Amino acid sequence: MSTLRSRSVEMTPAALPTLVRSVWPLLVGVGVALALQFFAKPVIGDFYAKVLLDIGTSIILAVSLTMVNGFTGQFSIGHAAFMMVGGYVSGGIVYYGSLLAWGSADMAGGALSSMIDGREAPFLTWGDALFAGSLVAGGLVAAVCGYVVGLPSLRLKGDYLAIVTLGFGEIVRVLIQSQTSDVLYTVEEVKETAWYLMPTKVGGALGFSGLPFYSSLFWVFLGVAVTLLVAYRLKDSATGRAFLSIREDEIASEAMGVNTTQFKVRAFVIAAFFAGVAGGLFAHSIGVQLNPGELGFLKSFDIIIMVVLGGLGSISGAAIAAAIVTILPELLRNPEPLLKMWPVLAGLAAVLLVAAVVCAMTGRRARSLVAWMCIVLTLLGLGFGARAAAAAGHNLGDYRMILFALALILMMILRPQGLFGVREVWDRSLWKGIADSFRAPPKKGGTNK
Amino acid sequence: MTPPTDAVLEVRSICKSFGGLKAVQEFNLTLPRGSLRGLIGPNGAGKTTVFNLLTGVYKPDVGSVVLGGREITGMRPFRIAGAGLSRTFQNIRLFGELSVLDNVRLGCHVRAQHGVFRSIVRTPFHRGEERAIEASARRLLGVVGLLGRADEQAKNLPYGDQRRLEIARALATEPRVLLLDEPAAGMNSQEKVALRALIQRLRKEFDATILLIEHDMGVVMDICERITVLDYGKTIAEGTPDEVQSNPAVIEAYLGADADAGSSHAASKGGR
Repeated sequence: MSTLRSRSVEMTPAALPTLVRSVWPLLVGVGVALALQFFAKPVIGDFYAKVLLDIGTSIILAVSLTMVNGFTGQFSIGHAAFMMVGGYVSGGIVYYGSLLAWGSADMAGGALSSMIDGREAPFLTWGDALFAGSLVAGGLVAAVCGYVVGLPSLRLKGDYLAIVTLGFGEIVRVLIQSQTSDVLYTVEEVKETAWYLMPTKVGGALGFSGLPFYSSLFWVFLGVAVTLLVAYRLKDSATGRAFLSIREDEIASEAMGVNTTQFKVRAFVIAAFFAGVAGGLFAHSIGVQLNPGELGFLKSFDIIIMVVLGGLGSISGAAIAAAIVTILPELLRNPEPLLKMWPVLAGLAAVLLVAAVVCAMTGRRARSLVAWMCIVLTLLGLGFGARAAAAAGHNLGDYRMILFALALILMMILRPQGLFGVREVWDRSLWKGIADSFRAPPKKGGTNK
Repeated sequence: MTPPTDAVLEVRSICKSFGGLKAVQEFNLTLPRGSLRGLIGPNGAGKTTVFNLLTGVYKPDVGSVVLGGREITGMRPFRIAGAGLSRTFQNIRLFGELSVLDNVRLGCHVRAQHGVFRSIVRTPFHRGEERAIEASARRLLGVVGLLGRADEQAKNLPYGDQRRLEIARALATEPRVLLLDEPAAGMNSQEKVALRALIQRLRKEFDATILLIEHDMGVVMDICERITVLDYGKTIAEGTPDEVQSNPAVIEAYLGADADAGSSHAASKGGR
């Protein structure tokens, strides 16, 4: 019998069409990022541009964590630590790099990096190159940290990773917080300082102030595009199947020839890389001061909430959940855009109610319909609640952690696999499964366990 | 007897104890290429422990396992799978959330050249390999008769289909020796007939060397050329089905004492 390798060589397609097929999704991503930067931003205004920026960063974080918690089924609860590592490395490179190169740490980027409209600047400058390079450097350092943290704990089966990542997150936070030296402000100070002391000059507990705002919609959504593409291509390949098989049954996976340690470490290192990139983007976002307190344990949990809500293992689910979790506090602070749509939402709830009643009367399962109706009604209720709270001088957004906790509990009861489970929005089997749940209930006493 | 040069799997007196319990003692086995060997014994005789020792789930205390002339004793399970020893599980261990096709495609993993970089960049070779993997996975699904359910989630398959899917997944690793752990358990009589035909077909088409644990005596006596009988971790008999059936030690330890238990066991499983 021929070997798999020889058959693979036989079936290898021509190089040029393959190149096109491999590259076009990235080009589309670049196109979308450019469109957001140059066409969408002027339309939606600065405030929503900033919300969109935060959504993009969250998507990168959630999708990268999906590779660990979702694909391989390991439980990392220190994702923000890799973000912090990436953010500080990237911030340090950009800040001190600019100081040395241009004598000032002011923003030296072009139109591509600008979040402020009407700024006269060339399209692309050396500042942009420095920023892009710093993102990659931050990601790489985070990936190295991921390897060091992951290798010992991922060799073992069980929950060791959770403990180790938790510890790592605290170590990184405390290390940065306990630095007492201030950020250096002048070129002379930088030149007088020994190079190996530079990592301590990041502001300590006060935060790394003075980082230029390079993160624009273009860079963030370029990062989103790359992250999504990498995650999807990993999932849809032999590597991704190996990841998922570890999650499903580690013993069977190893018996089928998967080096489980190696693949768990690979997933962890890739995830750490993208968390580092997201950290760099976060550090240079407008309205953000890089601060170790902000990227602690709670931030890690924000990311886990996104991944669990979206469905462990679903890339699109994590991305959608990241968007929801990021928008929700904004909506609670200012519910008026949502309340403008209230007739639409109320109508949707009514339609779902009628459908659920019809289903229940004809002996079909109506649980999913009721669940969706509850979601819509909850959204409406939250909107009105937020309006009432705002009138009374409160911000419902301050209570978001309570709301997320409630949402998670409800999710665990109604749909424990998350929004999409392991599948993607575009998977036909997902919608077929949801549609099937509306049809007649399956026969009792099947041959299943 | 077959000359040792022809042996694709050679097990030399492996032992394994768990605390004071001697689970497997002095187990020897020589499997010639293309042979089909049965491994039987009462419950708790150590049959599955033998499989776990061969596939690296446990390390033998003493003794050695040689596969195709290569020492595989004490290797990690994935390396043993790579060396060409593949198995199914008594308590089914499929990747439930994955599709039937993906389960078999994962089996091809061990023969593939995949890498993270290639997966991301999608080199021409990577695409060719994915095609080849899918083609062989579909072919194997055809062999076990599950091609029509390729896109279903594995956990949704009926019990008998799950057992056959496990066989397809194990075959996808292109093994030199296939270890089947109670493939007929939970199957009805029709499915058992189909299973016998499937095993015969595997021998013919894939030239498979098979070691089979089975409680269903009908299946074992019918298809195995030689049978090894274990009791309390010791090999108490080895020979052709006729020899084993007439062996007094076997009758005493197993068939005689277990005649009623054995049939009720089979009946309860067949009736599921």
